[in-house]
Amino acid sequence: MVRLTDVRKDFWDYAALDGVSLEIRAGESVAVMGPSGSGKSTLLNMVSGLDRSSAGSVVVGGEDLGALNEKGLALFRRRRIGMVFQFFNLLDDLPALDNVALAGQLAGLTARQSKQRAEELMEELRIADRRDVYPASLSGGERQRVAVARALMNRPALLLADEPTGALDSRSGEAVVELLTELNRLGQTLVLVTHDPRLAARCAYRVVEMADGRIACEHVTDRVTDRGVERAR
Amino acid sequence: MRAVWSVARAAVGRRRLQTFVLGVVVLVSTATVVVTLGLMAAVSGTFDKVYDAAHGAHVVAEFDGSTATAAQIAQTAHASGVESSVGPFPEAVLHGAAEKGGPFARSGIFTVVGRDRPDTAVDAMKVFSGRWATGPGEIVLDVPQGFGGARLIGNDVHVVEPGGVDLKVVGYASSVSQSADGWVTPAEAERMGADSTQMMYRFRDAGSDAALKADMAVVTAGLPSGSLTATSSYLGIRTRLAEGPNRYVPFLTGFGILGLIVSVLIVGNVVSGAVVAGYRHIGILKALGFTPDQVTAVYLVMVTLPAAIGCAIGAGVGSVVGTDLVQGAFWGVSGNYLVSGKATVPSWIFPVVLIGMPALVVVSALIPAVRARRLSAAVAISAGGVQQTGRGLAAQRRLGGSRLPRPVSLGLGWPFARPGRTALTLSTVVLGVTAATLAVGLAASVLAFSRAQSQQDRIQVTIAVDNPASPGHPPAPVHTDDQLFALLRALPGAAHVSAQASARTRMAGSTDTVRLGVETGDTAALHPDLVRGRWMNGPGEVVADSEFWHGHRLSLGRTIVLRDADGRQVRETVVGEQMDGWDLTSTDWDRFIGLNPTDRATTFSVGLAKGGDPRAYAAAARRVDPGLQPSVNTGVGSVEKTMISVVSTLTVLLVAVSGLGVFNAAVLSTRERRRDIGVLKSIGMTPRQVIAMVVAAMAALGAIGGLVGVPVGMLAHRIIIPITGHGTGHDLPASLLHVWNWPLLALLALSGAALAVLGAFLPSVRASRASAAQVLRTE
Repeated sequence: MVRLTDVRKDFWDYAALDGVSLEIRAGESVAVMGPSGSGKSTLLNMVSGLDRSSAGSVVVGGEDLGALNEKGLALFRRRRIGMVFQFFNLLDDLPALDNVALAGQLAGLTARQSKQRAEELMEELRIADRRDVYPASLSGGERQRVAVARALMNRPALLLADEPTGALDSRSGEAVVELLTELNRLGQTLVLVTHDPRLAARCAYRVVEMADGRIACEHVTDRVTDRGVERAR
Repeated sequence: MRAVWSVARAAVGRRRLQTFVLGVVVLVSTATVVVTLGLMAAVSGTFDKVYDAAHGAHVVAEFDGSTATAAQIAQTAHASGVESSVGPFPEAVLHGAAEKGGPFARSGIFTVVGRDRPDTAVDAMKVFSGRWATGPGEIVLDVPQGFGGARLIGNDVHVVEPGGVDLKVVGYASSVSQSADGWVTPAEAERMGADSTQMMYRFRDAGSDAALKADMAVVTAGLPSGSLTATSSYLGIRTRLAEGPNRYVPFLTGFGILGLIVSVLIVGNVVSGAVVAGYRHIGILKALGFTPDQVTAVYLVMVTLPAAIGCAIGAGVGSVVGTDLVQGAFWGVSGNYLVSGKATVPSWIFPVVLIGMPALVVVSALIPAVRARRLSAAVAISAGGVQQTGRGLAAQRRLGGSRLPRPVSLGLGWPFARPGRTALTLSTVVLGVTAATLAVGLAASVLAFSRAQSQQDRIQVTIAVDNPASPGHPPAPVHTDDQLFALLRALPGAAHVSAQASARTRMAGSTDTVRLGVETGDTAALHPDLVRGRWMNGPGEVVADSEFWHGHRLSLGRTIVLRDADGRQVRETVVGEQMDGWDLTSTDWDRFIGLNPTDRATTFSVGLAKGGDPRAYAAAARRVDPGLQPSVNTGVGSVEKTMISVVSTLTVLLVAVSGLGVFNAAVLSTRERRRDIGVLKSIGMTPRQVIAMVVAAMAALGAIGGLVGVPVGMLAHRIIIPITGHGTGHDLPASLLHVWNWPLLALLALSGAALAVLGAFLPSVRASRASAAQVLRTE
C-alpha cells in the first residue's frame, strides 16, 4: 500500500526527513511515534501528497507521488487518502453534514448523493443528530468524529491521522481511538502519528519510532483494546 | 513612541504588497487632485494676476462724441466708485481697411484710438516690437504679445483704407483690455474723423456684471442721455479665457472625486483587513503592555507612512502634468497670450494636498484603528479565522445546496462572511466601472462634438487658401475664387463646394470686435448642425455661435445692427445658433467680403458624393492650383485628442486602482482563509478549483458592481457634459448626450466582472500554489 524509499525532505538548512524507508501493507495499522521535531508529521505529509520529498520515492497504492503534478496529487488525495488532524480542520462556515459531504462533492458526487453518503457515515459514527450544527457549537469529540466521517467520505484506501486525540479530553479521546480501531478491524489501512504510547498501543500493530528525521526503530506489537489483547497479524 | 514606531515599521514590512497598493492609490489620487485644482485655479487666478499687474480696464466705454463733450466725459473719472481711469481718447473706425505687407493680413473694420502714450494708469500697454506712434501717418497695431515679435520688425507694413487713410505701422503692442485694434496720436485720430470717445475705468467693486452695470450707471448719471454707445467688460475676456481650462475642469473634478472615494475605500479596506488579520497580533501587543492609544497609533502610522510617500510623489507628478496641462489648456482660446507661459499650478495647492491627503487617509483608517483599540486582549488572542455572521452562514448553506460546482458555490459564499469588506470592495468596483463608463461616454461625446464641429459627416475635404498678402508664404492661388469654385466642383467625386472668408465688424452697443464668418456656395448642404433655429436662407440673416449668443443675450428673430465692409449699418436677423464657430456667420458674401476687392476666400469646404475617396480628391485638388492646401477632414482636433488622452489616462489609472482594490480584498480573503484552503486541498481540491473558488468570490462582486456602476457612470456623464458645455460657452445638442447603445452598455456592465477577475487572479493563483502542509502545520 505504501512504500517509501530513502526519502529525504530538506527545509532550508536542516533535514526533516533523512533517508526514510518504510513499507506499509494494506489493512495494517501503523503508529509513527517520536518526540516533537522528529519528522513524523512530515512523513505523514509525504504519504498524503501534501508535500513533496526532496529526494527518494514515495509510492502509495501503486502511484509514484513524485511523478504527479499538483492536480494529480489533489486527485490522488481525493480518491485514495482520508486525513484526520489534531485540530480537526473543519470549515467553520459549513454545518457538520456539509463538511462531510464536501469531500464527496469535490470527488464528483452530486449534492444529493454526497449528502446521502454523509448521512450514512454520520449515522455510523453516532453523530447523525449533530448534522446541522456548525463546528463552533460541537464538542471536541464530535468535531473529530465529523473529521473522521469526512476522511471516510470517498472510501479511502489509506486513513492518515495526525495526533487525532491531541486536542481532546480523555473521554472524547477514548471514543476516537475506539472508532479508529474499529475501522481498522473492518480492513481500513491506518497510519497514525502520535507521541502518546498508550494511543499507539491501543490502535497499532506496528510502531515506527522516529528521531531526528530517521527511523530509529520499528517493532511489531499486540494491540491492547477494550476487547482485550489483539494479536499482531 | 519608539515601540509604536518599531511595531508599525514591522507591520509595513510584513504587508509590503498592501503598503504598495496604498501608496499607489494615494499617489494617483494626489496627482489628479493637484491637476484639477491647478486647472481650477488657472481659470481665474492667472488671469486676475496678469490683468491686475497691467491695470487692465474693468470697463472700456465708448461715448458718442457729438452727444457728450470731452470735458463732460473727462468728469466721469471723478464719479464715485471709480478707482482709476484713463481717457478721454478720440476714437475712429476704419472700414474696409487692410493690413498690407504684414503677416496677419487683417482686414475689415479697425477701431483706432488716439493715445499719446502706452503706459497709462489703466490699460498699461506694452510695446514689444518697434515703437509707439508719435507723428502723423503712424500707427501701432494690436498683436498678441509674444506672437513672433522679432519677425514683425523691419517689414514695410501699412494699414490702408481704400481711397482714404494710409498709415505706416511703426510698432506692435498689446492691450490686456483689448481696447482697440490700433493706436495713433490723438491729433491723427482727430484727422481721421474720430466721432467717438473712449474712456477706460477700474472700479472698486468690479466682481460681477451687476456691479459693473451699477458702476456705469453712476458714471453716466451726469451725461446727456444716449451718450454712452457701447461698453465691454473684463469679465467677458475672463469668461472667454476660461473656456480652455473649463474643457477639462468638470471631468477632471469628476475623476478627482472618484479617485478620492476609491482612496478612502481602499485605505479603509487595507486597515480593517490588517486589523482583522492581526487580531492575535493586537492581543499580543496589549498583553505586552501596549496602551489602547499606542495600538491605534500603530495602525495609523502603518498607513500614514505609505500615504505620505505616495502623496509626495503624487504632488510632484501632479505638478509636472498639471503645469503642462494648465499651459496647454489655454491653447486656441481668445486672449490666451495674456496667460501664455504664466499659468502654472499655484504653490498654495501643495501644502493643501500634502496635509490634506494624508489627513484623509488617517481619517479613513481611524474607524478600524479604533476597533483595534477597543478589542480586549483575551478576545484578540483567542480569535481565530473568519468569524461568520448568521446571515453569512445561511447564504453559504443555501449555496451548498445549489447545482453550482462546489468550489464556485463555496467562493460565492465568501462575500457574506465579511459584509463590511464586501461593501468596500463592491464600492471600489462600482467606482471603477463608473470611471470606465464615464470615460467611454465622455470620449464618445467629445468625438461626436468634434464630428459636429468639423462637420465630418458633410465635409470630407477642407482646402486652405494661402493669404496672398503674406510675405514668406507659399505662392498665392493663380486662379480667382470663381475659377477655383468651378475647378473644385469639376473634380471627380465632388458633390458640394462652399467657400469661407472672415471679416471683422462691430455690432451696435458693443466696443468688441465681432468676428464674422462669411460663406458662399453650397452652404445649405454643408452647414453645421444647429443647436436651435435654422440655417440662413439668404442675405439679411445671421447665425450666432453659442458663446456670442449668450454673451449678447440673443434670441431667435432678434435684429442686430452690424457694419458692412463699407462701414454702413446693416440690419441682420438672428435665425439660428450653432455650437461653435465665428461669432456670427453670414452668407452675404457681396456685402461683407465682396465690397473689398482684395479680400477673397480663405478656405473651401468640399462634400463628396457617396463613395468618394477624400484622399484622392485632396491629391487632385493639390494639382489644381499651387496655392491650395487640401487636407482630409479627420474629424478630431488636437484639443479633442488631448481631452480623450487625458480621460483615457485617468480611466486607466482609476480602473487599475479599482483592480488593486479587488486585488487587495482577494489577498486579505485568501490570507484569512489560508487554513480553509489548506483543508480543502487536503481533501482533494485541485489548484484550478482553488482559483475558481477565489475568482468566483470576487467575480460575484464584480458582476454586481458592473450592474450598479454603469447607470452611475451614465448619470455622471449626463451631469458633466452639460457643465463642460456651459463652461466652454457651448450649447450642446442633445445628440452629444445620446451616445449609448445596448451592446456598449452590456460590455461596460461585464467590465465589472472582468475587473474583479483580473484583480483576483494573482491572489487566487498564489493561494492555489500555497503549500497545504505548511499552512496546516502552522495554523
